[in-house]
Amino acid sequence: MSGWGEERPTDLAQRIRIDPDGTIEAFSGKIDFGQGIRTAFAQIVADELDVPIERVRVVLGDTARVPFDFGTFGSHSVAQETPHLRRAAAFARRQLLERASRKLGLPVERLDTREGSVVSDRSSIGYGELVNGSPLAGPIPDDIPLMPTERHRYSGRPMPRLEAREIVTGRATYVADVRLAGMARGAMVRPPARGAKLRSVDDSAARRMPGVIAIVRNGDVLGVVAERDEQARAAAAAVLADWHAVPVEGPSADVPMRRDAQTAARLAGAATRLERTFVLPSIANAPIGPSAAVADVRAEGATVYVGTHRPFGVRDQVAKAIGLAPERVRVIPMITSGTYGRNSQGDATIEAAILSKGAGRPVLLQWTREEEFAWSPSRPEAVLEVRAGLGADGRIVAWRYDEHTNVHTAAGLDPQVLGVTSGRNAIPPYAIGTAEVTLHIEPTRLRTANFRSLAAAENVFAIESFMDELAIAAKQDPLAFRLRHIDDQRFRRVVERVAERSALAAAPPARRGRGLACTIYHGTYVAQVAEVEVAASGAIRLLRFWCVVDPGQVLNPDGVRNQIEGGIQQSASWTLLEELRHREGRVVATGWDTYPIATFRDAPESIEVLVEGDEAAPPTGVGEPGAVPAAAAIANAVYAACGARIRELPITRERVRAALAPR
Amino acid sequence: MRLTLHVNGAVHEIDVAPTLPLLAVLRDDLGLTGTRYGCGRGQCGACYVIADRRGVASCLLTVEQASRMEITTVEGLAKGDSLTPLQQAFVDLDAMQCGYCTSGMLISATVLLANEPVPDETAVRDALAGHLCRCGVYGRAIRAVLTAAEASR
Repeated sequence: MSGWGEERPTDLAQRIRIDPDGTIEAFSGKIDFGQGIRTAFAQIVADELDVPIERVRVVLGDTARVPFDFGTFGSHSVAQETPHLRRAAAFARRQLLERASRKLGLPVERLDTREGSVVSDRSSIGYGELVNGSPLAGPIPDDIPLMPTERHRYSGRPMPRLEAREIVTGRATYVADVRLAGMARGAMVRPPARGAKLRSVDDSAARRMPGVIAIVRNGDVLGVVAERDEQARAAAAAVLADWHAVPVEGPSADVPMRRDAQTAARLAGAATRLERTFVLPSIANAPIGPSAAVADVRAEGATVYVGTHRPFGVRDQVAKAIGLAPERVRVIPMITSGTYGRNSQGDATIEAAILSKGAGRPVLLQWTREEEFAWSPSRPEAVLEVRAGLGADGRIVAWRYDEHTNVHTAAGLDPQVLGVTSGRNAIPPYAIGTAEVTLHIEPTRLRTANFRSLAAAENVFAIESFMDELAIAAKQDPLAFRLRHIDDQRFRRVVERVAERSALAAAPPARRGRGLACTIYHGTYVAQVAEVEVAASGAIRLLRFWCVVDPGQVLNPDGVRNQIEGGIQQSASWTLLEELRHREGRVVATGWDTYPIATFRDAPESIEVLVEGDEAAPPTGVGEPGAVPAAAAIANAVYAACGARIRELPITRERVRAALAPR
Repeated sequence: MRLTLHVNGAVHEIDVAPTLPLLAVLRDDLGLTGTRYGCGRGQCGACYVIADRRGVASCLLTVEQASRMEITTVEGLAKGDSLTPLQQAFVDLDAMQCGYCTSGMLISATVLLANEPVPDETAVRDALAGHLCRCGVYGRAIRAVLTAAEASR
């Protein structure tokens, strides 16, 4: 059932297929969650193959059709995948030219391509005709010549996303919209807290309820399958389960990330020293659509329809859960509610597969809103202790940073992994003299895992707030202070540009303030200015945002803007509103009333995003960087507006009032 | 209970529990999956439909109540292949990311523009305030509604 093995995808047949009717299929293991990669990939393929984009179909993540892929993480999708797809499409074009050359008896130099055909000065053959009966194949050379940029029709141009029309007409098929013949509905019976063990089950009443097909138990996983959704839920509520609560705590570890000699001594000897602690609560991914999955498990193999970041990882998890060989499980990723990291876990998929196997029917499992808050992994808490010493010239001479947080992925405690996940962006992008940076993973009863930008948003909140505090302590302008510590020219440019664009130096009206924050996230340079108004009550209104981003070569500028705007809007919500309360490992929030997020009324008047990519640099991601510096930009703006320095999120009116109260 | 539903100009005879939410019947019995489940409590706006010219959360409306109303879902907005100016503006301005909340926004914005063809920005924010979007496309959605209003003047 599986298409190809897990070797590096280098054969053209794994990447590009041309149908006799001239339709192009391009294959990638990456997933589109609304970040627009389907459109970006179609642009690349259409340009390299010289075909109208309408003829390109991008197949993403279907494990029976696409080459192995580790997963769609860290905004890297476009960056990693672009060169592979580009070379594949260029190689396909060369093969088509060679085939046409043989067919027409003309040298390749006298042929060209146009609109999906190979053309000479007097004839034209459609691509479909050239592949009829003999698919393109062969190892893709690394040095295949690419289409000259001046012949690109789509790359680098704004373009509405290919799925947009399906979405606005309601025709887009999200996971929970999949309907299979004979499909039943599932509902889970949940334990009182994470990690509880199932002692015994009395399902005698539930079994007799209308529509019930099966009560399925697999270890500590317990659920009901019924003909209809409401029947499954009613029966799940009628199952009497006896649970044994076992407190689960996450792991702990200490990971040194940077250890320069003499840091302690240079800190002690500094002319000015500053020491601060920043605190961030747990927050929820909080997708608008709760997790869902459809599983069709049969003796000979299984097909699952899912929302996932890593289809091949889910394939292996499902295979293990239901006792099939991985190649007998086909994972078909569907369009899904944005999940911002949450879908790295195959929770609902595994549950649906267990239910389908137990009931012998295809099953759709739709989590409720309550289940989504209670059982999804969330962003860990973080306590960030930072201290720095300045020399007599006002430059940073020593830096010490202790990050206390929990695991940010399900990858466990591998120190190499921890440094780039929980420790992401813990090392500042500045010249900071000698430094000691340590990551402390501490236990938590909460389930924590992948979240948009992993720990970068936490670390950059602390570092960029602290840079402002250091500048102020040194009686320097925050912009000039940052620039003094930046060596990288691309970084300097985005910071200078955003300051200029937002007129950062101009004094805003009373009660208003502007704050700057910037970072380098996985190779993407991003600088932001927030403008806020702080009322006498301490209430904060976010008025405007400016952002300059340099993600290297840009394929679709408006797609980049949309991602950055969304990142800023979501991060503003985290910063001003969100805290996921929990007690004894159990999440308190059950709905949007107990976990409010930003609404239309909270959206700033404008978010101006300037996409100024260095075209000579390879493309880097834009799905996450926008969210990373926003919290510090807002906190720095609040300080500029009213003098309240808020070091603990969310920045509530109570915290602002407390910070302003006379001591 | 046998009920008659009027949805998107079509008549459907169904036999379901009268207390079922309209949302469940749309999705599970009528195959209209463009109306989305988000919270089941009327807090997120993903399941909005037009019921007798008002935007309502179909998760809070019983199918029996709905049987006395004219219902329009997101599938019923476009006439054949031609998008409404509002849908077109959402496409043109890419006022969506994952698109899960888009159906609900389109419903409330359609009702707004029917009642107030040239709304100001505050009116748009107020009309859409019940629709949560986690991807953060609020700014684009506001511009799309204002653009559609402008286009149909």
